[in-house]
Amino acid sequence: MQTLRSICMFKLPHYIKTRIKTKTRVMWVGDWCVLTAGIVLVAALFQQLWSHDGASRVQIRLGDTIYGTYSLNQQRNIHVQGAIGSATVSIMNGKARFSKSPCHNQYCVHQGWLSRSGQAAVCLPNQLSLELIGETKHYDSLSY
Amino acid sequence: MRKGLKPLLIVAACCLAIWGLIAYNQPRLYHSQSYVFGTLVDISIYGEPEARARALTNHILQDFQHLHQQLHAWKPAADNQASELGTLNAAFSSGKQAVNIGPRMAEILLDATKLSQQSNGLFNPSIGHLISAWGFQRDEFSAVNIDKTHISNLVKANPRMSDIIIDNNTTYSKNPNVKLDLGGYAKGYALDQAADYLRKQQVNNALINIGGNIIALGQHGDTPWRVGIQHPRKPAAIATLDLADGWAIGTSGDYQRYFMLDGKRYCHIIDPRTGYPVQHTQAVTVLIPPQAAHSTQAGALSDVASKPIFIEPWAQKSAIAATLGIQHYMVIDQASQAFVTPEMQTKLTWLDADFKKHLHVQTTALH
Repeated sequence: MQTLRSICMFKLPHYIKTRIKTKTRVMWVGDWCVLTAGIVLVAALFQQLWSHDGASRVQIRLGDTIYGTYSLNQQRNIHVQGAIGSATVSIMNGKARFSKSPCHNQYCVHQGWLSRSGQAAVCLPNQLSLELIGETKHYDSLSY
Repeated sequence: MRKGLKPLLIVAACCLAIWGLIAYNQPRLYHSQSYVFGTLVDISIYGEPEARARALTNHILQDFQHLHQQLHAWKPAADNQASELGTLNAAFSSGKQAVNIGPRMAEILLDATKLSQQSNGLFNPSIGHLISAWGFQRDEFSAVNIDKTHISNLVKANPRMSDIIIDNNTTYSKNPNVKLDLGGYAKGYALDQAADYLRKQQVNNALINIGGNIIALGQHGDTPWRVGIQHPRKPAAIATLDLADGWAIGTSGDYQRYFMLDGKRYCHIIDPRTGYPVQHTQAVTVLIPPQAAHSTQAGALSDVASKPIFIEPWAQKSAIAATLGIQHYMVIDQASQAFVTPEMQTKLTWLDADFKKHLHVQTTALH
């Protein structure tokens, strides 16, 4: 800021020098106000929008640990080695499902595609679960 | 340069303050999932340091594991793996010889007997042989050949909880056909044990879910704990409700343990009077307020009370609910239509538009 002012003072003709000088003095305080407000706004928006990002993800849990969290914006098959064998989780166009499971009853596969935040599918024999995560969570837990 | 430094510091301080405020407002929620009782156990603790929440959760899970080993209904007796319940069942079937039981088993048996009598025998944990005949006493089950004579004989054998005689720390059965299966009681009992333990540890805010039976302590920050109710045919919730401190909720459905045979669904909920799985109902959800001390607690009641309502045919559902003192409940029929009591309706927030449209609100009053 100071360098800018000194450059102005040296290079500009005398008759506009004073005008700029007074203007820049006023601008100097205002600048910082704008800058501060800007940083505050960016920080707030970052927290608001970035941490609860709108794009939904799917969280895969194996036993009592989180196996991984994946974006739904991809087409992908994930192979997970569960308690009794290898299962396949498919992700496609914002949806996810169990597409292959070594379990006997295949309840998890019959659950079909999950697409909304909070939806879940569990494979008890294989100790695997899927849960869709989004910006809103309608409930803390599910009675089934 | 000095002039430029001061505003820079102000900006930095502002940023730090905002960051601090956001960090302070972060929800202090600890969440864990595990597999016990052959089902999913989901524990949320709010407002405790993470290390403490984890230690408390591990303690609860160990307790659950002990309880599961104690009450397991079908672990083979051959390889010395039999649970306390398995040993008890072996003694019951071999005659009237009395066996020793621990105080916890005695407490469970007395409470289950009381509830069985209260529900006119519709909640009947002594029909283990029937449950086994339908193939549901296995981790992985499949369609069975329905042996009509066998089932009819098992019903005629008339095992009842009142056949079990408890004298101090010993017990025996008057009827050798009694085989205990506490699958409709143990999870609810475990909820009460866990809630009790957390309260004693001065934990005020927690939500415990064992296989769909849930109990709440306190709330989730500034708002109550909110639970969803499963759609019986889709991987989604049909409605939500706020679970206040000490309240419990339980759902019995025909979609958790079942097999299909000739296009018909056979679920694990068996009518002890006919010996056959119930086929007129998709799901029953009961909401239980905190109960008085020294009576059946909310968790156990949330597990037990949904079964008799599920089993009774439509004309008798409200009568059995009244007998059990259940005011808040919802029944879903085979056409996926929901019937709720007015008390329950005031608690529900509907998510599923179809269910909301075809909703029936009915009073619990006896006809």
